Amino acid sequence: MPDLFKLVLQISVILALCRIVGTIFRKIGQPRVVGEMFAGILLGPSLLGWMAPGISAYLFPASSLGFLNALSQIGVVVFMFLVGLGINPQELKEHGHAAVLTSHVSITAPFVLAAFLALYLYPKLSDDSVAFTSFALFMGAAMSITAFPVLARILAERDLLGSRLGTVAIACAAVDDVTGWCILAYIVVLIRTAHSSTSIWVTIGGIVAFALIMIYGVSHLLRHFETVYRERGHLSENLLALMLLLVLVSALCTEWLGIHLLFGSFLMGAIMPKEQRFVRYVLDRFETITVTLLLPLFFAFTGLRTDIGLVKGQEMWMYCGLIILVATVGKLGGSMVASWLSGMPVREAAGLGTLMNTRGLMELVILNIGLDIKVISPALFSMMVLMALFTTFMTTPVLALVCPDRFLREAPNKVPTQDTAIGALASPDKISA
Amino acid sequence: MSRTSRNFIIAYTLLVGLPILGLVGILKSGRALAAPISVDGVWKLQTDPVRLAALPCGKTLASSPDAALAISQSGRNFTLSLKDGPKSAASGALDGTSLKASLVPSAPWSEEAGCGSGREISLVATVDPKANPRSLEGTLSVSTCLSCTPVDFRAVRVATPVKKGSH
Repeated sequence: MPDLFKLVLQISVILALCRIVGTIFRKIGQPRVVGEMFAGILLGPSLLGWMAPGISAYLFPASSLGFLNALSQIGVVVFMFLVGLGINPQELKEHGHAAVLTSHVSITAPFVLAAFLALYLYPKLSDDSVAFTSFALFMGAAMSITAFPVLARILAERDLLGSRLGTVAIACAAVDDVTGWCILAYIVVLIRTAHSSTSIWVTIGGIVAFALIMIYGVSHLLRHFETVYRERGHLSENLLALMLLLVLVSALCTEWLGIHLLFGSFLMGAIMPKEQRFVRYVLDRFETITVTLLLPLFFAFTGLRTDIGLVKGQEMWMYCGLIILVATVGKLGGSMVASWLSGMPVREAAGLGTLMNTRGLMELVILNIGLDIKVISPALFSMMVLMALFTTFMTTPVLALVCPDRFLREAPNKVPTQDTAIGALASPDKISA
Repeated sequence: MSRTSRNFIIAYTLLVGLPILGLVGILKSGRALAAPISVDGVWKLQTDPVRLAALPCGKTLASSPDAALAISQSGRNFTLSLKDGPKSAASGALDGTSLKASLVPSAPWSEEAGCGSGREISLVATVDPKANPRSLEGTLSVSTCLSCTPVDFRAVRVATPVKKGSH
């Protein structure tokens, strides 16, 4: 049984600190999520556990973390549904070759560079229980992800959602996330089946069958939600409960199939109808509690697992620096070169690269899965969390530097965003994770 | 085929196709790499309780029916904590199959366990990589205690580090 007093105390402390630090970060022009990620680290062994071990042991005893983790995972399941909801494959089709090339290069460049870095890091930060292939693929997936919701939020704040830069960035980030999650699913399957009696082909077959049923069968049934919403202007509580139930069932299916809960919830969001007002309505119903209450718990749980003390000595900090450098060069550089070759002016291309380099919460989700399945070590986890923080933090100031408002106002191809799902996702004061 | 499409195919091949080939090469060459031996996990401690109790700081450990070491590994470095032991983790390093760690117990625990001040618990051990489950053999000693005889111990890994897939 959970110690309810301790659990409520933990939630209160986490909420208060996340709001305070998030507000401070907003004041310095950063998305709130960066502050909340930072607050999580402050609560962990890197600061509170180091400066006040007694208070840390009282507030977050190891025996209580299971309950905190369970709550935070529920939050991430719902959050991944909302992320999937905001992704619209139609948006990529509208941008043709340029977006396809840019998005694919923005995955392959950091992926290959990360795998190359893995050759150097594997003998230093891993152990012989992890196969090199799993290690390298995980590093690649973790470095090629983009924080789709943070990107949308930054674009909305700068009124760039309708610009060429904004629309291409959104399309590329959507492709990156879907691809990144597919690769991660493969890695999880690879690792899980290595230690189970089920053949990898049975697992992959099951997942493909499930995805096909969802995309070609369940998605048609989901249109009824949109139809009812269009007719009545709202969904009843029963229908909203049914939607949540479907998210949970889908999550359970992917967990049972051998990947992870989060893939199912993401897929359920991705196949939902994409009409803007419907998406906005569903987001309004689910995101307040998720973003304000449950996600801070996830940041705190991640922070409790992040021990910057493990990154000690010149050598370890050099590894950390290399990780940040490779992640930035691969993502920012790869996206920038590809979009420039596709005909985008160099400044805009640099802005796109900067936007694609933001990793935010999506990176933390992936890293936590990696630590759970032990494909990365605690020290590497801490370094990658620092990389996620650094690359997310640098996005806003670097974007302002390479793409000042004056320049973007003169850029061509301003398009309306009112009817897109992402227009709903990035509305002011909404998802910022 | 239009010029635009041809250019796209060339650019795609160069910027996406070639790196993927490179990735295949990296994955192949990486298979030859050797990572440090895995010591991550929980190890059940087997030792002579009488000799352990004779060590300063050893009484609490000796009285525990299921004394265990918990190792959290990051490459060649690891942190080690003793179940029912000092409420602080030792840091150590691996060199091949040998591991060394030292721990300065927190003041309250030292007082409770009758350690005396300024003590440092040292662990030196060798992993048997062929044993299944893996086992450790080594000695536990306490610094600044010249009269104390190091205590031999054996530890067997009870929780393998890679219960991959179980979250």
